[in-house]
Amino acid sequence: MVKYESIFVADPAATDDEVSGLVKGFEESITAASGKVLKVERWGKRRLAYRVGRHEDGNYTLILMECPPAAARELERRYRMNDRILKYLTVRIDKDIPETPPVAAAASTEAPAETGETE
Amino acid sequence: MDPRDRDRTKTKQFRKKFLFRKKKFCKFCEEKIPYIDYKDVRLLQGFTPERGKIFPRRISGTCAKHQRELMQAIKRARNIALLPFTAD
Repeated sequence: MVKYESIFVADPAATDDEVSGLVKGFEESITAASGKVLKVERWGKRRLAYRVGRHEDGNYTLILMECPPAAARELERRYRMNDRILKYLTVRIDKDIPETPPVAAAASTEAPAETGETE
Repeated sequence: MDPRDRDRTKTKQFRKKFLFRKKKFCKFCEEKIPYIDYKDVRLLQGFTPERGKIFPRRISGTCAKHQRELMQAIKRARNIALLPFTAD
């Protein structure tokens, strides 16, 4: 069993129910592969840092899970097949990381705080 | 002018330029941040000024170990559109 953290960005046009449906489907696929979902965090709609296709915003969801690698691969396969999902990222978690506060949707777009060298 | 005098003025200038510079420090060592989270956009933004480039170590003072982790985190954040690759 490996710990993974997986984030997917859904179409901002997708309704809440739709995303919930997606999450449910993914959870089932994980549990079916004898994995365990530890946490699901919905960040909601956020401004993307750059345009993806013609989308300016995205609906972020984070899934923290513990499952065999095959289940993670299956999850990514499902992400790819779903055309409501714009982007995804799955990261293996090796060391124990401290609990991070949920990323606030409000803090999504802010100008970079520091200015560096001018080019 | 005696060449030794010239040398002395040079050292003086050199001192003025470099001696009173603020000491750099590694933010992550200082604050004992154990894991650089790619989801912490606020933190990462401080290391990707204007153009969205990664702030070099020689300027930010981050230690090698943490610069590596920072790089990894920024690249992950870019992948899921939390940070820009470039700012236009």
